Amino acid sequence: MNQADLSKLVSALRIAVKPKPRLLSCPEGPAGRLKKLRATVTALVKYERIELNYPRADEAQGYAERLISDAIRNGDCHKHTMEMADYWLNEKQLVHKLFKVLVPRYQNYNSSFTRLVLGPKTYPGYYAGTAILELKGNPFPALQPENHNYHYWLHNVLLEEAKKEFRSAQEERNAGTTESVTTES
Amino acid sequence: MAIVEHLASLLRKPIETSDEAGERSVSTQKTEDESGNTVIVAPPEFRFMYPEFLPDPAPETRNRLREKLERMDMLQRRSVIEIPEFYTGSIMAVTVADANSPNKFARFVGICIQRGGSGLRAWFILRNVVDKQGVEILYEMYCPLIQKIEVLRLERRLDESLLYLRDALPEYSTFPLNMEQERRLNNSVVPINPIKVKLRPRPWLERWERQNLQGVEDLNLPQRFYDKAEKVAKPWEKYDLMLHYRKTIPAEEQEKIFAEVHSQLQQQELKRKLRRRRGFDNEQ
Repeated sequence: MNQADLSKLVSALRIAVKPKPRLLSCPEGPAGRLKKLRATVTALVKYERIELNYPRADEAQGYAERLISDAIRNGDCHKHTMEMADYWLNEKQLVHKLFKVLVPRYQNYNSSFTRLVLGPKTYPGYYAGTAILELKGNPFPALQPENHNYHYWLHNVLLEEAKKEFRSAQEERNAGTTESVTTES
Repeated sequence: MAIVEHLASLLRKPIETSDEAGERSVSTQKTEDESGNTVIVAPPEFRFMYPEFLPDPAPETRNRLREKLERMDMLQRRSVIEIPEFYTGSIMAVTVADANSPNKFARFVGICIQRGGSGLRAWFILRNVVDKQGVEILYEMYCPLIQKIEVLRLERRLDESLLYLRDALPEYSTFPLNMEQERRLNNSVVPINPIKVKLRPRPWLERWERQNLQGVEDLNLPQRFYDKAEKVAKPWEKYDLMLHYRKTIPAEEQEKIFAEVHSQLQQQELKRKLRRRRGFDNEQ
């Protein structure tokens, strides 16, 4: 049983966070893991949509969300946040982009800031498959078509009920005619 | 079945907002959320004063219902006995019911070197040197055997864990058993004692040079110790954002928890203050 760490206040992330981090094995060990993820997070902030293998995309999504949520919560005058931005973004102009472009864009978001979409899994190839990691609100065309028909929308609910009523009425009518047929014979 | 339904309904009950909050007479602590409803928010220092109300962050063991029930039980216990605010480095006296001692009570005075646990299993360790023998006792804060917890000197130190006192000179851990409660000069701020403790010569129980301790005097070790510490150090952990996230409870959840608990804690404090004032007046 451990007590929660109180030194920093963090915003809740709106993505599913796995209980254990992936090791992302590499020759440099744990230091190399963060180096790899830094490159991924930098590329995500720079290009706003990147295609890469799924495990690294999943890890980098968490770090990108944490960076952006810290920037929104604390702003650019906060020493710790600036240190983190400086570490995680290899190109320094992206630090400006984070605070001047991304923070205003995501200020009032109630959802996550990134989207992880599974990509093609070609055989033979990497078992876990590819993924596309993108920042929401990017200028590119959408990856997935918008769904314009949800079952919980009111008109769909009413149509479903109407269909059920019609079917049950139909059954009653059929039952009525078959009964009359059997009685006659 | 009725019990299970009642317990399940506790989970479904929303946090008090708008009208229900407005009717309670809670001092300040009301902010507006996006929809314009007033929401009760506890002051930010609550997470330092009552850290055991926050659950263990490990997601494998989290159970919202159990946490809610534990918080109810913790408040119930706090209404019976006063568990004061304390930090590592505060000097405290704990009286425990003991069937085997002549007075039926056992009182121990010591400095709090570590505190941990969450919920009803919250604990703290008191250390003192009695007859040249170092003694440490771990007390569970919500144990029903505890009769009284007094904070004789409320202060903080430069480190969150004072386990290095075990390897320090005994004078840093010695406190008189008949020590009296000291009056606080400033009620709003908890003073930080900047003392730098002197350690005994090696061997030590832990490799203190690897732990970045602020409250210890210069260790004066041969350079090879510091070289090895550097080799073994993990400087990237400082930047590991997800590691920190997995070790903490997010701010929104903390606010929710303390909003539930804070009005009752405040009421208990007020009642105790009144009782103290009445007791003082009676004496006069």
